Amino acid sequence: MKKKLTAVAAVAAVAMTLTACSDPTVGTTGSNGDAAEVTWPEATADLTGTTLTLWAAQASASIPEAVIEAFEDATGATVDVITVPDPYEQGIQTRVATGDMPDLAFWQPTPSMLTAINASTNLQPLDGAPWLEHMDPAVRDVTGILDGTRYAALISSPTVQGVFYNRAVFADHGIDVPTNWDELLEAARTLHGEGQTAFFDFLSPTGWATQWAVQVQLADAAADGLWDRINAGDEAFTDETFLTAIENYKSMIDEGLFNDNLASATFEDQAAALLSGDAAMAFQINALVGAMQAQASAAEVDDAVGFFPISPSGNVATVSPDQTNGVVAFRTGDADREAAARQFLSFWMSDGYQTFIEDQATVSLLDTVDTPDSVPQVTRDLAAAVANSVGSIQAQAIVNPDLFLFLANMAQGTLTPEQAAQNTQDHFVQLARALGAEGF
Amino acid sequence: MSASSAAVGRVRARKSHPATFLIPAFAVLAVFYFLPTIFNFIYAMTDWSGFRAEINFVGFRNFSDLLQSGTLLNSLRITIVFAVLVAVFQNLFGMILALLLEKDTRVNRFARVMFFIPVIMSALAVGYVWQAMLRPDGGVNQLLGFFLGRDITVAWLGSTTWTIVVVALVHSWKWMGLSMLIYLAGLKTINEDVLEAARLDGAGSWRIFKDIRFPLLAPAVTFNVATALLGSMNGFDIVQATTGGGPAGSTELLNIFIFRTFGQGLFAQATTMSLVLFLVVLALAFPVIRTLRKREEVL
Repeated sequence: MKKKLTAVAAVAAVAMTLTACSDPTVGTTGSNGDAAEVTWPEATADLTGTTLTLWAAQASASIPEAVIEAFEDATGATVDVITVPDPYEQGIQTRVATGDMPDLAFWQPTPSMLTAINASTNLQPLDGAPWLEHMDPAVRDVTGILDGTRYAALISSPTVQGVFYNRAVFADHGIDVPTNWDELLEAARTLHGEGQTAFFDFLSPTGWATQWAVQVQLADAAADGLWDRINAGDEAFTDETFLTAIENYKSMIDEGLFNDNLASATFEDQAAALLSGDAAMAFQINALVGAMQAQASAAEVDDAVGFFPISPSGNVATVSPDQTNGVVAFRTGDADREAAARQFLSFWMSDGYQTFIEDQATVSLLDTVDTPDSVPQVTRDLAAAVANSVGSIQAQAIVNPDLFLFLANMAQGTLTPEQAAQNTQDHFVQLARALGAEGF
Repeated sequence: MSASSAAVGRVRARKSHPATFLIPAFAVLAVFYFLPTIFNFIYAMTDWSGFRAEINFVGFRNFSDLLQSGTLLNSLRITIVFAVLVAVFQNLFGMILALLLEKDTRVNRFARVMFFIPVIMSALAVGYVWQAMLRPDGGVNQLLGFFLGRDITVAWLGSTTWTIVVVALVHSWKWMGLSMLIYLAGLKTINEDVLEAARLDGAGSWRIFKDIRFPLLAPAVTFNVATALLGSMNGFDIVQATTGGGPAGSTELLNIFIFRTFGQGLFAQATTMSLVLFLVVLALAFPVIRTLRKREEVL
């Protein structure tokens, strides 16, 4: 009898296990499975009684405040912003994997990150959105699209990688803005030779900015289809192009072109060093402007610091849109709330856009709204660089390996350039395989 | 009691406590303990990820990939080093505190409460507090600077070699109150007559501790060492809050690695790693507990 019971229990357990062997996020197809049927409600239509949730990171939680207030006034809806702790992307992926979903969320609008959240299942397609006709096509189609379907609304000019520099330090040492990588290195060596810290980077608590110095060196290769080859498995991170970029970064550190306190320095230290002229340059993205403005007024930042894009043979920028640039709408399965979410995006990108960019002091992406005068020159330069740009690893690769982590470990001396390249490749293959990409 | 009356007793016990009474308890155990463990084994053999809807069986590929890449073994090594350090520090501190605070005076009772407070504090709070204290411009350096009369700017959490020791000390600091309590309880059980006899024979206090009190504390040592070692194998919260696995991954415990991998949508790989951790803890637990129990047998 006992044996029989045990056998029955075992069979039951196995059966339960097998039936349960499917992803809980599957099958939550909303009412708008077909993009052609999607309707876009009037931006200011009445939504009294509707509550929408918007997930945001600590870095993006305050971005929509003004536009939400305007939307709530215009429609009677309520939009709750829920701050998801960092690491934001991991937090969202984990929540969505367990079936928890907001109506809207800030999300890095790149193919790799849209893939990571399983966009075709979880997100509403935004093709045919009313604001798209008012956007410059060169900027509009830079990002937000996966397999020909648009899933993210680009709310602000996408993040650009390049070099920020202290104007006074350049003037004191008689240095002109470099027009290619070799000139940049030459300028750095001149500065170093004259006792000036050339570049400032940081590894505390995580060295997330280590990747920019490597990525900008790939701009020419990126224009030549580097990411297509890597995505197909035809080229690896351990091959010459990528490895050389890593080796260059390492030898620049070894040469003393970076700050001495690299290991203990933080992002805030970088902003301070660049503002004060303790360091001449920094490989960075738009986020540095915000960090500097936390320490000085917009006018002071503009006086002290400038920006130029850099690539091996010229001044081509590398774009890597991040989660502050894009907003996605989820397929929650509730048709009314899904429509309300679309209406919110539509409002944000039309009636509410003026309020939004004035509040955020950012560059307008719509031809119907002018960029406010209060926007600093450095922000305008960053936005202008997008027009002549190539995609970064974030923008172009099918999946996004922990490149910065391996580079930071290399800068700390625990990995060699070869190991950093190998770890990046291994991680890329692991993610590509999880994705089911061909060739891996 | 004769053989037949014993049998009658068993029958009566079976009547008054039928086995069916166990069903609710076992149902809870099955749903919340056995089922997740079985899933843990099954998902480790699939390609479950956040990227795709379907889940396919892939056999042992996750295991071979992880072993090949070396990151798993590295995290495992860090985890074991951390666990051993915690087991040593926590028991050393707990034992010293127990010996110092053994007498039931008013001051000692107050001190015991003080040392027990970290045990009931939130682990994340402990981590963040120590992270702030150990910053180059934090409290620890300021205190040292005050006593040494010069500026101290040691980056306590910035060394790829020593930070693991620092986080092990923080972990031990949090839990040493618990070890202290158990050692105190152990010390109370030692018969005063034995100690008095030793004293009459002329044994000094060190000799008494080494040859009488410490051996008699064996059950407490077993419990404390086993829980500290195996508990810190599952460590996550304090280290995550203090260093997040840095610098350069030198404090990346297996659980932090699992958390990071899961967060990247590699659910199957993360499951495989937690299975490996489960097996390692199991493989460690049996010999450690058996060895420690052997020590008790001589009592």
